[in-house]
Amino acid sequence: MRIPCPYCGARDASEFAYLGDATLTRPDPAAPDAADAFHAYVYLRDNPAGAHSEWWYHAGGCRRWVKVARDTTTHAIAGAELAEGAR
Amino acid sequence: MTAALDILPVTQMPADGPYGPAGTHGVTARLFDPPALATLAARRGGGIALAAAARVELGLDLADAPRLSRADGLSAIGTAPGRWLLLAGTEGDLAARLAPLAPHAAITEQTDAYVGVEIDGPHARDLLAKGVSLDLDPAAFPPGAAATTNVAHVNVSFWREPGEDRFVFLVARSYRVAFARFLVASGAEYGLELVHRG
Amino acid sequence: MSRLPSSGLVDRSRRLNFRFDGKSYHGFSGDTLASALLANQVRLVGRSFKYHRPRGILSAGPEEPNALVELRSGSRREPNTRATVAELYDGLDAASQNRWPSLALDALSLNGLVAPFLGAGFYYKTFMWPATFWESVYEPAIRRAAGLGRAATSADPDHYEKAFAFCDVLVIGAGPAGLMAALAAGRAGARVILADEDFLAGGRLNSEAVTVGGEPGHVFAAQAMAELASLPNVRIMTRTTVFGVYDDEYGAVERVSDHLPTPAPFQPRQRLWKIAARRAILCAGATERPIVFGGNDRPGVMLAGSSRSYANRYGVATGKSVACFTNNDSAWSSAFEMKAAGVNVTTLIDIRREVAPALAARAKALGIAVLTDTQVTGTSGQPIGGALTGLSLRTGGRSDRLAADTLAMSGGWSPSLHLTCHHGGKPVWNEGLAAFVPGRTPPGLSVAGAARGTYGLGDILAEGARQGTDAASALGFAAALPDLPATEDTPAGIAAFWHVQGSKGPAFVDQQNDVTAKDLGIAYKEGFRAVELMKRYTTLGMATDQGRTSNVNGLAIMAELTGASIMETGTTIFRPPYTPVSLGVLGGHHRAKDFRPTRLTPTHQWAASLGAVFVETGPWLRAQYFPKAGETDWLTTVNREVKAVRASVGLIDVSTFGKIDLQGPDVGAFLDRVYINTFSTLAVGKARYGVMLREDGLVMDDGTTARLAPEHYVMTTTTANAAKVFQHLEFCLQVLWPELDVTLASVSEQWAQIAIAGPRSRDVLARVVDAGVDVSNEGLPFMGAIERTVMGGVKARLFRLSFSGELGYEIAVPARQGEALARALMAAGEEFGITPYGIEALGVMRIEKGHVSGNELSGQTSAGDLGFGKMASTKKDYIGRVMAARPGIADPERLSFVGFKPVDPGQRLRAGAHFLTIGAPADMAHDQGYMTSVAHSPHLGHWIGLGLLKNGPARIGERVRAYDPVRGGDFEVEVCAPAFIDPNGERLRG
Repeated sequence: MRIPCPYCGARDASEFAYLGDATLTRPDPAAPDAADAFHAYVYLRDNPAGAHSEWWYHAGGCRRWVKVARDTTTHAIAGAELAEGAR
Repeated sequence: MTAALDILPVTQMPADGPYGPAGTHGVTARLFDPPALATLAARRGGGIALAAAARVELGLDLADAPRLSRADGLSAIGTAPGRWLLLAGTEGDLAARLAPLAPHAAITEQTDAYVGVEIDGPHARDLLAKGVSLDLDPAAFPPGAAATTNVAHVNVSFWREPGEDRFVFLVARSYRVAFARFLVASGAEYGLELVHRG
Repeated sequence: MSRLPSSGLVDRSRRLNFRFDGKSYHGFSGDTLASALLANQVRLVGRSFKYHRPRGILSAGPEEPNALVELRSGSRREPNTRATVAELYDGLDAASQNRWPSLALDALSLNGLVAPFLGAGFYYKTFMWPATFWESVYEPAIRRAAGLGRAATSADPDHYEKAFAFCDVLVIGAGPAGLMAALAAGRAGARVILADEDFLAGGRLNSEAVTVGGEPGHVFAAQAMAELASLPNVRIMTRTTVFGVYDDEYGAVERVSDHLPTPAPFQPRQRLWKIAARRAILCAGATERPIVFGGNDRPGVMLAGSSRSYANRYGVATGKSVACFTNNDSAWSSAFEMKAAGVNVTTLIDIRREVAPALAARAKALGIAVLTDTQVTGTSGQPIGGALTGLSLRTGGRSDRLAADTLAMSGGWSPSLHLTCHHGGKPVWNEGLAAFVPGRTPPGLSVAGAARGTYGLGDILAEGARQGTDAASALGFAAALPDLPATEDTPAGIAAFWHVQGSKGPAFVDQQNDVTAKDLGIAYKEGFRAVELMKRYTTLGMATDQGRTSNVNGLAIMAELTGASIMETGTTIFRPPYTPVSLGVLGGHHRAKDFRPTRLTPTHQWAASLGAVFVETGPWLRAQYFPKAGETDWLTTVNREVKAVRASVGLIDVSTFGKIDLQGPDVGAFLDRVYINTFSTLAVGKARYGVMLREDGLVMDDGTTARLAPEHYVMTTTTANAAKVFQHLEFCLQVLWPELDVTLASVSEQWAQIAIAGPRSRDVLARVVDAGVDVSNEGLPFMGAIERTVMGGVKARLFRLSFSGELGYEIAVPARQGEALARALMAAGEEFGITPYGIEALGVMRIEKGHVSGNELSGQTSAGDLGFGKMASTKKDYIGRVMAARPGIADPERLSFVGFKPVDPGQRLRAGAHFLTIGAPADMAHDQGYMTSVAHSPHLGHWIGLGLLKNGPARIGERVRAYDPVRGGDFEVEVCAPAFIDPNGERLRG
């Protein structure tokens, strides 16, 4: 699989490290329900068959975190963008 | 045949000289110590100011892309958004030269972190095809193009020199023997000349 | 010899000698091993997998199930090589497989007599017999009797490599469709790769007597290849099999040297290609199917198209008296062409009542007898070797006999659509063609020619040309449809037919796995009717040929049994690889010591010069210990090194630690969020030990971080976690907190770092720093971190840190100065007897001091477990804080970090021993924790340990049982504080 890194261009997937769901937001640690929210953030994951937004780290290239829109059933990649703090 | 590697210890740099069938010479790899090297990373939101300062202070057009920019013996290789490896052509106080950029960027000394390898010759691309998972056709990777990638499990930054059919690699120092072994394993077929420069 | 007088594309001026089963023969350049064996009238080439039945050559291509041989000898011996694709070379040495004592007289062919016990589901049923019988009786017997070739017993001496290629259009197969596709795309200027597994491009054009553009087919192919070779944008890869379609790329094996006795110097044997292609056109042709009837596995029974190929391409008559048996027109063409080439084709046997009048007329004109509405019901053969001598025929109700030494059969053709299935596409049954044709194809891949079920040669040429043009046009090239060469029509009528009912003797469906029509009946009766179950129960379609010639017949027979249609029955899915791929080529040059890169420390050569023994720690080679003359075991050396450090001074390279430069106004705030403790308040010129958690609240890593300037920190990580921590920090900065102005740079490679430790370490340091550098207790206090110069102007970072528990420093200099620093420290410490030590001694000293390391940072321990609970700040949030407060993590009953010493000081502790309360049964329910690290303490003179014990710190002074059944350890240990030496840290601060 080749992943279109927004900076480096299309690269072999072996250059990337996979993290997973990129739709999650780190909860507010000061919120009253922080314990439950962090439990969900750390452990609870959907496992969608189809479109998935996921984090890939371009470890072998620019070392940027890339948000990749990938179809989990076909591996077709609809797009990729750098994390906000990577730009 | 593996013999080209089997007789070389993994703990020592392969000696200078020819590797491959006698009388063939298809690739040359010249290893060198960079005279001075640093990483330059734009401060958050400081990219535009950094580019302007580089233009004014160094006459350097910092391309925010995986490309080579060069001015006055100073080469900048884009490695990530807002990040460059700066390579000076001669020894000297690179830190002092870069000091005017300090308000806009983090500057980190890296002169000892890398060794350089220049690769050229009629079979340079054939050798590199055995480790570089990028299309090195001039249409896809023209002179001045740069990339950071893994070659034979070794992380490298490299670019294609303008005007010459030559590639220059920067290889992390602790991996230099492993990278040289990749060159020998992949280049001996074409006749590889290994040289330590300078 | 059965070489025909004139036909064939072999070079009769280049004679090649070869050996098979020790006998010498000769063939010609351009032969395969199979064609050369047939030319020498060697018909029996192997014994079958289970029943040791004599087998001959079935095919002329990669589909071959029978003619598997051991190619080459010694360390280059390669089993299960298909003789039909093994290119002949001078000196080739091959042996038949799976026979004893000889191929013709095989003692184990008696297996055939026990065939009723070896039938469908044999493996599964056998497992149900008493387990003790399996290991002691059945398995050894089966291993001796069944099986294929023998692997070499020594390491492969040859070199393999991997390579990447890129193109616009990848054309897979250089037959008529592939040649036209490559010409169309290549002429348009697209970057084309044309790959073909054969050594001679052309596909069926080399095997059939056809005319294309006024030239013989093989001449047309050669001309097309010459034009393609002249185009700079076209790369031709013969002897290259595209074996798999992956995501955005194709896997291929180039057999660079398999056609040579040994690879030329510095050449690989094979090369693995990863080909990134924007478009691909599959032009893989089709595979002929056998017909299932009794005795159809005799040497001499073969595929009709293959028999034709031997005549036309190799100039070999496959027999002296050839009959054809078919349900379709292609076998008639095969018969006519063989006859024209000089083969004695006597009879055409067709199951159909009617055939095209033109075919019948042509047969008559050539003097070939025609038997329509006729089936072959049995075969007879020679008493030794079993080669075919005659056929039993049935025409309506009438039986007859026919003498023949070759039966060229054809049950129709199956498109070679395997690669279309690699993204999950399912083949679709086409009733008119009696064949599966491609269903949904992988993205970017189209199919042309016989692989798509297009069998007429003119149609094939047109389809290839059209798809080559379309692929180039779609990529933006100005492509024009090439002029189509004129050719004759090739008839392709067929009546679906699979299985001769009521025939005599075993009727093989899968010859490679010895699966008969009867076995399919058993699978049906026992309920294994779905194709995927049928395959696994009977083994039909497994092994090297992956059912090329058997799959469709097998599922058609199952469909007959179930009464379902073939489409309803479906086919098994083809997965990569298309043909067997050697493990060697998948590894490339990454084998033995090059399995992965070796990283060398800056002082490696210096340590080597002192006789250091090195150990792999991840990719690094680190000095493990430095034996001196006369020291015969490692423990003696390590004890000496530890004592020397504690008594005076020693040095060790610690460059392998991860080192990360952090710059920016927000570094302090950032570190506060990633460490459990506070770094924003750290004074410039000071370092602090920090612990970082994962978001789940367990410890990720530890290390010291120093503040070199208000906006400049440098962090160290453990050697093992360097990359992981860097990735984690980048995640925090890029994803979690993009508002923070912090930049990271790895400086692990820039700095060589050497630790000196021991009461005289300050004296040594004072001698290497430049004049005016104050390293006194005031100038460089405990946990001080300063930037100065050493050795006459060399930039250095000086840290006063200790892992050993002694007064200690770490000195960082640019990597190229590392070795000079080591030598300078050795010289400066000479009068104190400075001792280089390795990571064994370092480990002993950290255990004596009670520091945690990788064994304790196991990913299962919390900060509290390791005694760092008090370090955690309560005034800020940090990664892992919320989850670390979970009841399960905060539970005092958790396994917690303590020290252990044996009650009997003579006992040797073992890491991995489990703790039990004395008197409690030794089972998991009573498990109290385990020992993580042990060392022999030269300081105390006995073994000591660190470990994780339930509620550990509250149990200091208690005795527990250290139970290690694996290594026979079972004795009492006393729980103690983890610091065995200088618990108050006086040595560090002095």
